[in-house]
This record gives sequence, structure tokens and C-alpha cells, in this order.
Amino acid sequence: MTLRKLVLGGAAIIGVSATAFAHSGATGVVKERMDAMKSMGEAIKRIKPMMSGEAAYDEAAVHAAAQSIADEAGEAMTSKFPEGSTDHPSEALPRTWDEWERFAALANQLEMAANGLAMAAGNGLHGDGHMMGDQSGMMGGGSDMMGGSSSMMGGSSGMMMGNGGFPNGMTAEHIGQMPADGAFVMLTQTCSACHDRYRKDDD
Amino acid sequence: MQRILSALLAIAAMAGLGGVSLAVWPIGNSPDLTEREGDAQRGAYLARAGGCIACHSDPGSGRPALTGGAPIETDFGRFVPPNITPHKTVGIGAWSIDDFARAVRQGVAPDGTPYYPAFPYAFYGHLSDQDIADLWAAFQGVQAQEVTAGTNEIAFPFNLRFGLKLWRAAYAKGPPTEAETDRSEDWNRGRWLVNGLAHCGACHTDRNVLGGRQTEQYFSGSDDLPDGGKAPPIRPDDLRDAGWTVSSLAFGLKSGVMPDGDTFGSGMGEVVTQGTAWLSQADREAMATYLLGEDSTAAD
Repeated sequence: MTLRKLVLGGAAIIGVSATAFAHSGATGVVKERMDAMKSMGEAIKRIKPMMSGEAAYDEAAVHAAAQSIADEAGEAMTSKFPEGSTDHPSEALPRTWDEWERFAALANQLEMAANGLAMAAGNGLHGDGHMMGDQSGMMGGGSDMMGGSSSMMGGSSGMMMGNGGFPNGMTAEHIGQMPADGAFVMLTQTCSACHDRYRKDDD
Repeated sequence: MQRILSALLAIAAMAGLGGVSLAVWPIGNSPDLTEREGDAQRGAYLARAGGCIACHSDPGSGRPALTGGAPIETDFGRFVPPNITPHKTVGIGAWSIDDFARAVRQGVAPDGTPYYPAFPYAFYGHLSDQDIADLWAAFQGVQAQEVTAGTNEIAFPFNLRFGLKLWRAAYAKGPPTEAETDRSEDWNRGRWLVNGLAHCGACHTDRNVLGGRQTEQYFSGSDDLPDGGKAPPIRPDDLRDAGWTVSSLAFGLKSGVMPDGDTFGSGMGEVVTQGTAWLSQADREAMATYLLGEDSTAAD
């Protein structure tokens, strides 16, 4: 082995460990939940290009990805956030436990959206201009951005997906009737709603 | 640094002149839009794009939309986005359309006092009279609600609002939005949205100790957002390095999904969910086109 190869090999190993990202050093339940988050992110990454039209649609892949996220959501997720589990390199903000009900509601909503996406996988994508595909369409149709001027913001009835909150009474079955990309966006916006409020930025 | 110094010197000079002259220095001017017909649908769209709804609502609070947003914790104090429903006393129900125009485009309240730059009026200065009339029509259509989100708690000396007049003179200028004729329509539309209404630079451009945007740091990201958040740099090369393309960024502004499969946080999720996700696909592509510095989506 030449010196050059040794150096290159060493550099490669360092490179790999550096990309073992912020999760390196995590142990116990913090590692478990970081691994779960990473696995959900990978599932999203696999099917996202299909949703944005950058790759061919694959129903089985969408179903499998949705199922894997549903398995990590809800109770499976909240059980990985026991009170006080903030050891380095946890990215969970203390607010997670201060607002436990709101956090848990988002975890449950994630499970609902993922189950909904699994059911919607067979629906395929909406065509451009299709009623249900866009968030705007979903909330009132066409150019009617707010569902009529008297309810510009949807009022307090919860029609507005404020902070990722779904309309009252919505179920996975409802989401399952949407085009898959509409269900996908409901799912990923739920991820974001939680990251917005409960995840600390990387240092 | 030089500008901070000169701003501080200006403050010192004004203090020498006496706070009285500063307190009576008139700001803003009076438009006349009373005759203009507004389109509430278009106004609601603009309200989405501009973040009016995102910032002035706090769904987790249980209060109705537009009755005031979640508090914004900053080094200067706590800012509470107020109720902007047409309620006569706690909302904007007693305002005229001209009051509204001056508030949004110039950052001056109906009583003549300046707003804190937590309200990103500097980015709204490009709105046309018609844009304002449309927004006004949309807000007029909202049900009046008599609830408030609380009041600002600003630390001395920032609680003395007349000091904001100096701040205005130094920093209250938004990035350019006027069309460039040698650029595509997409690029120009994206620029109007990104630099104007959508006010991306309010977070993605770093601020100095006085809270002024450092224009030479345009879109270079910021490490000290309210609440300890960070905004990444979003110059074209930064975005490309992070793996974005025009189509993936346009989709990211709808779904919140980043190139690595992670999803936005630190408030960007709300920007998407309550803002850009409601825009047309064409507008999201235009924003991505401008941000990536590309002149046509076909070039992607």
C-alpha cells in the first residue's frame, strides 16, 4: 500500500465519519429517535421526486414509504421522547415537553397523514389544474384562495392548516381519497410544523 | 460597521438637538385610494404571499385567524403581531384605506407613530395602489374579532418609538423589485415576490446590532433569528450546493421537503404551510427561478 493510498483512505474514512452527521455520539433513546427521523427522511426522499414530477410514479414504492412512516409516527414516536431525554446531540427543544399535548397531537397527525398517503397511493397524481391537488384547491377550489371573502382565513373552524393542524374530524380515509401528491404534502407539512416548533437548529 | 457607527453618531447628534425635534419629525405621506375598487380574491392571495396571515395568526393559541400572532422574541424585546381583523377598537376597523396604505407601505400607524421593523413594511413599499386596494378589500371581508394577542414588551431605549425615525432613515429601504427588461417574465415575477411581498430577506439576510439588514450580506443567511433560530444562506450558489434545482425548490415551497429528504423547520415550515403553499405553481417556479439566478425554468 502506497503512502498516497493510505492518505486517501484515511481521508475517505474521515469524510465518512464527518458525514455520519450530528447524530454521531447519540446513545439510548436519543439515538433511537434520531435513527427513526433519519429513516423517515429517507422514505420521503425516495418518493419526493415522484410527487414533484421529477421521477416516474411508482405506487408500490409510495405505499411502502408511507407505511414505514406510519410505523414510526404516533405512539412509536412519542414513546421515544421521554421527559428529560435531552442528552447531546439531541435536537429536541424543551418546548417539546412544555407543550406535550400539542407535540403528541402532531405525532398522531403524522400517523394519520401517513396512513392516508398509503391509502392514496393507488390514486396517482392529480393533473395540473385538478381541484384537489393544490392546497389552494383543497381549501376551496380554483382561484378562490380563501374559500370566499367571508371566510378569508377559514375562521376558527380549523379549515386553515394552521401550524399543520388538519381540519376537525379529518381522518386517514379522507386523506386516502386525495391524489397521492396532495396527501404527500399534508404529510410533509406536518413534519415541518413539528420541526418549526420543537427542533433546534444544527449547531 | 461604518454604517452602525454613522447611525450611532446620528443618534448622538439628534440627542444633542433634543428629542423634541425628533418626536415631531413627521414621517410618511398621505395617499388617496378612497376611489379605488379592490378585488378581495386577489387581495387574499397577496395576503398569503406576504405572510400577513402567517404572522398575524397563531392557530395553536385557539384564537381565530388574524386576531394576532405568536410573540416574536428578539434582542430588543417581545413583539406581538396585533389583531388585524376589522374590529373597531382592537383591530383595524376604524382605519381608512389610506391609513392602511400608509401602514403597509410606509410603516407608519394612523396616529403617525412609526412601526417597529418586526413588521417588514420595508419590503411592502413596492406594492401598487391596486395591490393595496385588493388587500384592503380582503381584510374588510374578514369577520371582526374582539380578542387580542397581548402587547409588545420592548426594552429601553427601544421602547421610545421616535428613535425608529432614525432607524427608518438608515435602513427602511427594501431590496429592488422593479422589472429588468432584459430578463424573463418569470425571473422578474420571482424577483417581485422574493425581494418584495414574500420578504425572504427579512430572515435570510443578516442584521446588524441595530436590527438593520446589512445589504452587502444579502441572502447570506442569519444565525440570530428570533427564538434562536437560523436561516441558511440562499444565494444561487448556496442553493445549488445544497442540492436545489428550480423544480425541487418550487416543490419545496409547497411541501417543505429539502433535497436530502428532511423538511423545513425554524419557522420556514409556517412560511410554506401558510404562505407559499397557497401560491400558484407558476409563482413558486418564478420564485425558484429568481433565487437560483436562472432565466428560464426550461434551463433547469
